[in-house]
Amino acid sequence: MNEVYLAGRGLASALGPDLESGLTALSRGGVTPIRFEVASGFAWPYYAIADEDPDWLARAARITHRVATESGALAGPRTGPLFLGSSSLDMGVLEQHHEFRGDYQTFAETVAGWIDWRGPVFTVSTACTSGMNAVLSARMLIRHSHTDHALVLGMELRNRITVGGFGGMQLLSPTGAQPLGQARNGLVLGEAMAALHLSSQPSRWRLAGGANVVDGRDPAGTVPSAVVAMCQQALAESGLSPTDIDLIKPQAAGGLANDATEARALRQVFNPLPELVSFKAAIGHTLGAAGPAELALLDYAQDTSLNAPLAEQAPKRVRHVLASILGFGGGHTAVVLEDCGK
Amino acid sequence: MTTWHTQAHVLVDPLPADWREQLVAHLGRRPRRIGAWAELALYGARLCLDAAKEQTLPAGAQLRVASLIGPLDSVRAMTEQAKTGLPMPFTFMQSQPSQMLAALSLYLVWQGDARFTLCRDKQAALQLAQQECGPAGMLFGWVEEDRRTEWWRLVPSP
Repeated sequence: MNEVYLAGRGLASALGPDLESGLTALSRGGVTPIRFEVASGFAWPYYAIADEDPDWLARAARITHRVATESGALAGPRTGPLFLGSSSLDMGVLEQHHEFRGDYQTFAETVAGWIDWRGPVFTVSTACTSGMNAVLSARMLIRHSHTDHALVLGMELRNRITVGGFGGMQLLSPTGAQPLGQARNGLVLGEAMAALHLSSQPSRWRLAGGANVVDGRDPAGTVPSAVVAMCQQALAESGLSPTDIDLIKPQAAGGLANDATEARALRQVFNPLPELVSFKAAIGHTLGAAGPAELALLDYAQDTSLNAPLAEQAPKRVRHVLASILGFGGGHTAVVLEDCGK
Repeated sequence: MTTWHTQAHVLVDPLPADWREQLVAHLGRRPRRIGAWAELALYGARLCLDAAKEQTLPAGAQLRVASLIGPLDSVRAMTEQAKTGLPMPFTFMQSQPSQMLAALSLYLVWQGDARFTLCRDKQAALQLAQQECGPAGMLFGWVEEDRRTEWWRLVPSP
């Protein structure tokens, strides 16, 4: 079977329109979330991409093209599979115009058209784990030689309904994101568009393995046994043991109960617990885009040695990273990255 | 190349008028807080596992669901609610395919790799699922609300 590498990545987020500007903003202390009003009297902090074009589709197309270009995927053949991982898809345009044209796959095909992508198009929609599951699927097609490259897009662009939906469930923080913080009081959502270009051609970061575990006993919460199973399966597929992991990027969305549950479950697997890094206080919880977005930030920071913004005590040696996203609907998904340059 | 054995295949099209009552009778309770699309997925999945003579999916099996229409009825309802204020929480949840996966996990009493992955080419969707599948096989469903529910219990041949 082929090995699978991260050949390139791109990211537009509240931190900036690309990774370089994003890491620069992060190293300077990050950005302040806006107040996103979804209805009169209902507003929450929100990490927005600085692009105020009111035409949702034109804005999405422009951001998509820029991020896919940054990933390097558009410089080569555009014939591999394209995976769109998203929770809200084109909700932003549906809520504006109430025109339901096409079906559930139509939007992914529209996105493919924006970047003139000619390979097969897949939609992956598993809420917050969408983008991470898209990475796992793309990896598997390369592993089994169905293709030598694939493009994964994690997309979550602003819309009132998603913010209102989470707000209606009383999951949002009125003040700010504090992942794993003692005074955490809820999620802060954000928008992001991330592109990960995967390839069988060797490069620094290898996708060593991963796992996806759904447990529906708590459809809005983290299930400890599922976190443990996710970690154990991801490690087993990567041929690693818990002590091989140097850095963990957990979900850590800032929820009162879920953060604590996740931390307790991680301690069951990892003893001692490696350093943790979280990006949600910098870009918000970007839902279906969170997996690719946070992987892009993590890898870019490692590649450019801009570790300072990542952790108070950045580990001296990072060879293996476990990155996870836990989601709405009982999804628990992780990938393991290996730094082949070490 | 792996060959696949079909342990069971269930197609319900057209849907019987009482399919929801059948589901309640089968589960012994009415599914709570899920939309009609998720209920239809559950109905078909349960029938397929019955046909395969399995109480639930084995650990290590995978679950894949696809649909061209998906939960669009709930999405429509949600955009209507949002016109006049905030969407209702349950409608918002029902607009997410992940809630269907959670319901399948809950009512099948099963924890494992479940995903909603869609491709216009059904063969490509199935092929991807097969590449991701381990020796315990998979339950693969294609569910269109108000129309049909079709499920396969597939295992790789030894």
